[in-house]
Amino acid sequence: MIEVPRTTPFHPRTAPLCVSRAWRRWAGYAVASSYELLHDREYHAIRNSAALIDVSPLYKYLVTGRDAAHLLDRVVTRAVPAMKVGQVLYTTWCDAAGKVIDDGTLARLAEDRFRLTSAEPNLRWLSLNAAGLDVTIQDVSDTTAAVALQGPLARTILQQCTEADVAGLKYFRLIHGSIRGIDVAISRTGYTGDLGFEIWAAAVHAVPLWDALRAAGADYGLTPAGILALDLARVEAALMLQDVDYISAHRALIESQKSSPFELNLGWTVDLAKERFVGHDALAAERARGEADGAWRFVGIEAEWDSLERLFAEVGLPPRLPTQAWRTSVPVTAGGTQVGYATSGCWSPLLKKSIALAHVPAEYAVAGTRLGIEVTVEHHRRQAAARVVPTPFFDPPRKRGSA
Amino acid sequence: MAGRYDAIVIGGGHNGLVNAAYLARAGRRVLVLERRPRVGGAAVTEEIFPGFKFSMFSYVVSLLRPEIIRDLDLPAHGLHILPLESSVTPMPNGDYLGAWADHDQTRLEIARHSPRDAEAYDEYGRLMHHMAHAVKPILGMLPPDPASLSPRDLAGLLKLGRHFRSLGAERFHALFKLMTMSSADFLDEWFETDVLKATKSASGIIGTFLGPRSPGTAYVLLHHYMGELDGVFRAWGFAKGGTGAVSEAIAAAARGFGAEIRTDAAVTHVLTAGGRVTGVALESGEEIAAGTVVSSLDPRRTFLELVDAADLPAAFADDIRRFTFRGSSAKVNLALGALPSFTCMPGEGPHLRGAISISPSMAYVERAYDDAKYGAFSRRPYMDIVFPSMIDPGMAPPGKHVMSIFVQYAPYHLTGGWNDQQREALGDAVITALEEFAPNIRSCIEGRQVLTPADIERITGLSEGNIFQGELALHQLFFLRPAPGWARFRTPVGRYYQCGSGTHPGGGIMGASGRLAALAVLADGA
Amino acid sequence: MSRSDVIVIGAGTSGLVAAQVLARAGLRVVVLERAAMLGDAPDIGWVPEPVVRELELAGAGLAVATPDPWLSAALPGGGRLDLMRDVARTADQIRALSARDAERWPAFCARMRQMSAALEALYVEPAPDPLTSRAGELYRLGMLGLSVRRRGRQATIDLLRTLPMSAADLLGEWFESDALIAALAAGGVRHLCQGPRSGGTAFLMLHHHAGQPEGVFRPPRSNLRRVLAGMAGPHIRLGARVERILVRGGRAAGVALEGGEELEAPVVLSTAGPRTTLERLVEPGWLDPEFARAVRNIRARVVTATVTITLEGRLDSPPVVVAPSIEYIERAYDDAKYGRVSAAPVLEAHADGNQLVVAAQYIPAAAALEEAAFGAQVVDLLAPHIPNLRAMVRGVRVDRPAEHEYHGEMGLDQILFMRPVGGWSRYRTPIAGLLLAGPGTHPGGAIAGMSGLLAAREILGA
Repeated sequence: MIEVPRTTPFHPRTAPLCVSRAWRRWAGYAVASSYELLHDREYHAIRNSAALIDVSPLYKYLVTGRDAAHLLDRVVTRAVPAMKVGQVLYTTWCDAAGKVIDDGTLARLAEDRFRLTSAEPNLRWLSLNAAGLDVTIQDVSDTTAAVALQGPLARTILQQCTEADVAGLKYFRLIHGSIRGIDVAISRTGYTGDLGFEIWAAAVHAVPLWDALRAAGADYGLTPAGILALDLARVEAALMLQDVDYISAHRALIESQKSSPFELNLGWTVDLAKERFVGHDALAAERARGEADGAWRFVGIEAEWDSLERLFAEVGLPPRLPTQAWRTSVPVTAGGTQVGYATSGCWSPLLKKSIALAHVPAEYAVAGTRLGIEVTVEHHRRQAAARVVPTPFFDPPRKRGSA
Repeated sequence: MAGRYDAIVIGGGHNGLVNAAYLARAGRRVLVLERRPRVGGAAVTEEIFPGFKFSMFSYVVSLLRPEIIRDLDLPAHGLHILPLESSVTPMPNGDYLGAWADHDQTRLEIARHSPRDAEAYDEYGRLMHHMAHAVKPILGMLPPDPASLSPRDLAGLLKLGRHFRSLGAERFHALFKLMTMSSADFLDEWFETDVLKATKSASGIIGTFLGPRSPGTAYVLLHHYMGELDGVFRAWGFAKGGTGAVSEAIAAAARGFGAEIRTDAAVTHVLTAGGRVTGVALESGEEIAAGTVVSSLDPRRTFLELVDAADLPAAFADDIRRFTFRGSSAKVNLALGALPSFTCMPGEGPHLRGAISISPSMAYVERAYDDAKYGAFSRRPYMDIVFPSMIDPGMAPPGKHVMSIFVQYAPYHLTGGWNDQQREALGDAVITALEEFAPNIRSCIEGRQVLTPADIERITGLSEGNIFQGELALHQLFFLRPAPGWARFRTPVGRYYQCGSGTHPGGGIMGASGRLAALAVLADGA
Repeated sequence: MSRSDVIVIGAGTSGLVAAQVLARAGLRVVVLERAAMLGDAPDIGWVPEPVVRELELAGAGLAVATPDPWLSAALPGGGRLDLMRDVARTADQIRALSARDAERWPAFCARMRQMSAALEALYVEPAPDPLTSRAGELYRLGMLGLSVRRRGRQATIDLLRTLPMSAADLLGEWFESDALIAALAAGGVRHLCQGPRSGGTAFLMLHHHAGQPEGVFRPPRSNLRRVLAGMAGPHIRLGARVERILVRGGRAAGVALEGGEELEAPVVLSTAGPRTTLERLVEPGWLDPEFARAVRNIRARVVTATVTITLEGRLDSPPVVVAPSIEYIERAYDDAKYGRVSAAPVLEAHADGNQLVVAAQYIPAAAALEEAAFGAQVVDLLAPHIPNLRAMVRGVRVDRPAEHEYHGEMGLDQILFMRPVGGWSRYRTPIAGLLLAGPGTHPGGAIAGMSGLLAAREILGA
C-alpha cells in the first residue's frame, strides 16, 4: 500500500531536526510545521539572517520540445515567447471563463525547456492544451528536490558554497551552477517577499545539498524553518495561497468560489496583448467592464491597534495576538455590515501590526478606506477598526536589490 | 371484520416498514403483514451457520435517505452505520488498484497506474458530485406525467424543466450524457487505466441485465454515486449487525409510533368492493379489514397476483406485464475459519476492512455479461466482496469471519433452469474465480451458502430475483415506473397503493418509495 | 488569392445542398472536393420534403428507389421472408412464420409510423435547444411538446418509453418470430457499434424509418447527389484537398489547399466531419481545451465494410439481409467489442446494375482482415439466398472506410442538441464564420442533405 504521507527527499535530514514532531501534510508529503517547539525563531531567521525551507512538495513540470513556449503561451496569462533563457515569471493560468485555475512560477531553462511550478497537479490541464503540439510534458515533482534559502544573509550564504554568479543574479532570474559538485538551478524567487533563492536539484542529491547549505550557513545563523514561519512571511509579503485565499476554478463547487486574476490583485499578470490564451476573451471583457457590476478586489488590511486594545480592555484583557498566521474566513465590514471577508492574516512580529488579506467589493478597495474586521473577544464577535493599505505589507529593498 | 386498522401494509421489507412508520407517525393505525418469520425482505441478517451471521442478500448501506434516518430517528432504534472506507481491485498480475478514504492516498494510488487518471479522478469526482446534486431532488419528488395535461402535472414538468435548465450548459449536457451513455463509453472519456474503468463501470451494472458497454449503464453508475452518509456523497457503509439491523431499526421505529407488525402472515389476496380495497386475505384464510392497503411487493405481485384481473384496466395490466425484471444477481455467503490471503496484498490488511471488487478489466466484466446474454451464468463472474466481520466483529465467532459475495451475472432465465446442481456449479465457479486472486480461499471455507436468482425469488418474493423489484432501465424509470401514468404510488384500485422499489425512485435500500407512498396516502386522506 | 462569400468543404450531398441554397441566395460559393471525380454511388437516406421544395428537385430528375419488397430476410431454415411495401401483403408473408405476429403487424406499423413522425418533425428543423432563454426558441420548444402531446397520450408515452429501449426489447414486445425481429433489428444497429440488445437501438430503428411509408423500415436510395452535381450555381472544384482552415483573430478567413494555394472567404462550411474539421483542419490552439476535449470524445467507431461483388450481368434481386436471429446479430457484435471481425457477419445486400453492394457488420476499423477470404465468406453467406449468385460473380472488392470518414455514431447521447457536441448543434463552432454540416451534425446519418439546408439557412439568417 502506498505510504502516505510520503517523505520529501530532504526527510533524512529534516526528520531528526523536527523535535516538535509537528508534521503536516502538503500535497501528500509530510513537512514540518515547525522544527523547534515554537516557530518564532524560525520566522525571525527569515527576516534577520536566513532560513532553509523544504519546498519540495510543489508540483513541478518540465515542458520541452519545439512547441514548449507555444504551449505555455497558450496556457498562462503572461507572454512566454519573449522570455529570456534564465528568466522566471510568476503567473496564473485560467479556464476559458477567465477564472484562475492555479498560480506558480515559470522558468525558462533553455530555448525549448521550461519548468512550471504549481500548487496542485496540472499535468492533465497541460496535456489537454497540448493537443496537436510538438511538446513533451514531464511531471518532475517527485524527482526534483526544491529548497528555499530566504533572508538578508541568503546571498552571502549561497556564495559560500557555489561558484555560480549569485552576486549577479537578478530578481526573478535563474542560473545553473553547482553546489559541492551537485548540479543545481538557482532562481532568485521565493514565497517570503524577501531576499531569497530557491535551489532545484535532482531528488537523489537532496541530502548532500542540504548538508552543503547548512555547512555554508553555519556561521551565518542559517535556520531550518517550517510552514508556520513561512506562513507569517508570506502574509507580510501579501502572497496568496490556493484553497485559502482563492479556490481553483477546477475545484470550485459554485460560481462565486471562483476568482479571476483581476479579483486577486493579479491583473498585472494578464497580458491581453497576447493574441490568444485560454480565458483571453473573458478577461478582455472583464477588463473592459472595469469596476462596474460587482467587481471584487483582493487587498491588504491593517487593523488599528487602538481599536483592538479598546475591545479587549472592555473585558479586562490585553489584546490577544495570535502567534501563528490564520487561514480562516473572517468577515470584513463597512459601516457595521459585512461587505467582504479576509482569508489570511497574522500579527506581524516584524511590523508589529495586525494584518490581513481580504476580498472586498471594488468600491471598498481604495487604499485608506476605513473598514472593520471581525475579532472574537471572549466568545463575542466584535469589529475592530481597520483600513485598506497598500501591499506588500513588507517590501524591503534587498528583495530586488543587488549585492 | 371490525375496522381495527386504517391501513394494512403488505410486506415487511424496508419500504413497507418505512411506509408503516410514516403512516403510524401521522396517527394512522397500521398493520404490517410479513410472510416470513422475520421482517426485512432482502435486507435481513440470518445466522445460516451457528455463530455466523450473514447479511443474506443486500449487504451495504448508503442510499438510505437521510431524511428518513432523521424523521424516524433510526439511530435511537439501533441503526449504527460503520464506514466502508476502501475498495481494492486485485489484478491478475499480482498488482491491484485501491481507492481509500484518504484523498492523498487514493490520488497517489491511482497515479501509480496513471498520473493523468489521478488528476482526472478528482475532476470526475467533482462532476459526479454535481450530478448527484442535480439528480437528488428527483429522488424525492413525485414524477410529473409528461403525457398529462393536468395543471398539477404541467406545473411539475415546468418545475423539473426549470431545475434542469438551472444547471447550466456544461452540467446539463453532462447529465444528459450520463442518462444515455454506457458506463464504458462514459468512463473512456475520463480515464485510461483499464482496471479503474472496469471497477467503476461495475457499479453501473449492479442489478441490471446489462454490460458495461450497454447504453443506459452510465445512469446506474450515477444511481450508486448518490449514496450519502452524513452529508457526504458517495460514502458507503455497513450496518452494525448486518442489513437486517436496518430493517429492525425501521421496524422498531414503526412500532414506536404505534404500528403493529405480524410475521408468518402471508397475504394471498387484496379484497375489493366497488372498485375500492376493503382489506386483505391471508394464506390461513383469515381476513383483515382496512380502508387502505399498501403493497410493498414488486409490481408483478402487487397487481397480477394479489388483485383480481377484473379490478384492473386491461391496458394497465398489459403495461405491468411488460415491466421487465430479468434478475441477474446471485449471492454467495461464506463462513470462514480464517481470512483468505490475496496475492496482491498478502495477509490481513486494511483492504479486508473495505470492499474487494473482482473486476480486473473491462473485458472481464463484459465477458461475464456475454455469458448471461445467452442464458448461462458467468464462468468468471464479477464480484463485490465485503468481510462484515472485519468491520463488525459480532458477525462471526472470535477469530473467524464471514464473507459476503455479490455475484453477477446469474440470469434468472438460465438455460435449463436453476436447480441444486446449477446452484452448486455457480458456487464452484465463484470460488474458482476467487482462487485466481486468493489461492487459499478454499481452505478457509467452513460453510457456504449460494443464493441463485431463483432462491432470491423464492425466499424474498422478488420476482425473477431482480434486486430492484424491476430493471432500472430508462424505459421504466421515473414517470414510467412501474407503468405510465401510475408512477405516483397510487393504483387503478381505490385506496390501493404501491410503495416498493418497483416504483420511483427505484431500488437500493433507499426507503424513498416507502416514504413517498406514505405521503401520497396521507395526502389522499386515506 | 481568390475570394468567395462561402467556401464549402466537401461535395457530398450536404455540401452540395448547402452550396445550392447559398448560391440561389446570391452568394458566391465555391465547393472544394478532394476526389478527382464525383462518382456515381447512390445516396442512402430519406430526402426530406424541405430539401425537395427548396431546390425544386421534383422537376429536376430526382429519383428515389422504392424496391418492393423493400427487404428480403434470409431465413435460417432456407427461404426468405419478403417485407413488402403494402402492410397487408407483408402480414401475409409473416403469417408463414407466426399467425400472431401477422395479426400484430399492421398495428405495429401504425405505432412506429406515429413515433417516426415525431422524429421527422424534429429532423426538418434545427435541433431543439432545451437551455434556450430566447422567447422565440422557448415558444418553439413549447409547440414541439404540444405537437407531440397532440398525437395523443399513448403516442407521447410511446415515444419517451421507446427511444431508450433496445430494438430487441421493443420488437420482443410485439413479435415472437426471431427472424422477423432480427430483420427489423438489423436496421437499429446500422453503422453502430452496438448490438440489438443495447439501449438506443430502438431509436435508431425509428430513425431509419423517418420519411418512409408505414411498414418500410429502411432508408431509401436515391440519385440526389448526382442531381445536385448537375445543377448550376456554385463553382465546384475537384481534386482540391483542403489542408488548413485559415483562422485570423478568432474568425474563419478561408482555406489553404495542399500545394499552398489559399482561398479567402469569411464563411467556411465544412462537411469533412466535426473531428476532422476541428482537430486536423483547424490549427490547434484556437479552441478552448474543454471544447476540444468534447470534440475528441465524439464517438465514431467504424464497424462496417462494403463488399462490392461485380457480376456477369444485371442481378434482379430485392435488398437481402442476412441476420437470421437476434443471437446472430448479437454474437456478431460481441466479436467487435473485443476488436475482432465478426466470425458470422450481418449482411445487407443491394443490387445495383451489375453489382451487388453488400454492407457487412461488424468489421472494426482496427481489426486485421484478410480481404479475399472475407469476400469469399460474404459470397458464401449470400449464395444460398440469392439464386444464381455464385455463377454470376466476376470479382469481389472489400472497402473499409477510414476512421475519419465516419462522422459520428447515432447513439442517444450524440443526437439532437448533443450533435456534434452539446450546445453546438446549430452548425456553428466557437470560431466565428466556421460552420459544420454533414452526417456528423443534426439530424444525423441517412437523412439526405438536410443538415446542408439547415446550415445554409443558419448562414443566411445570421
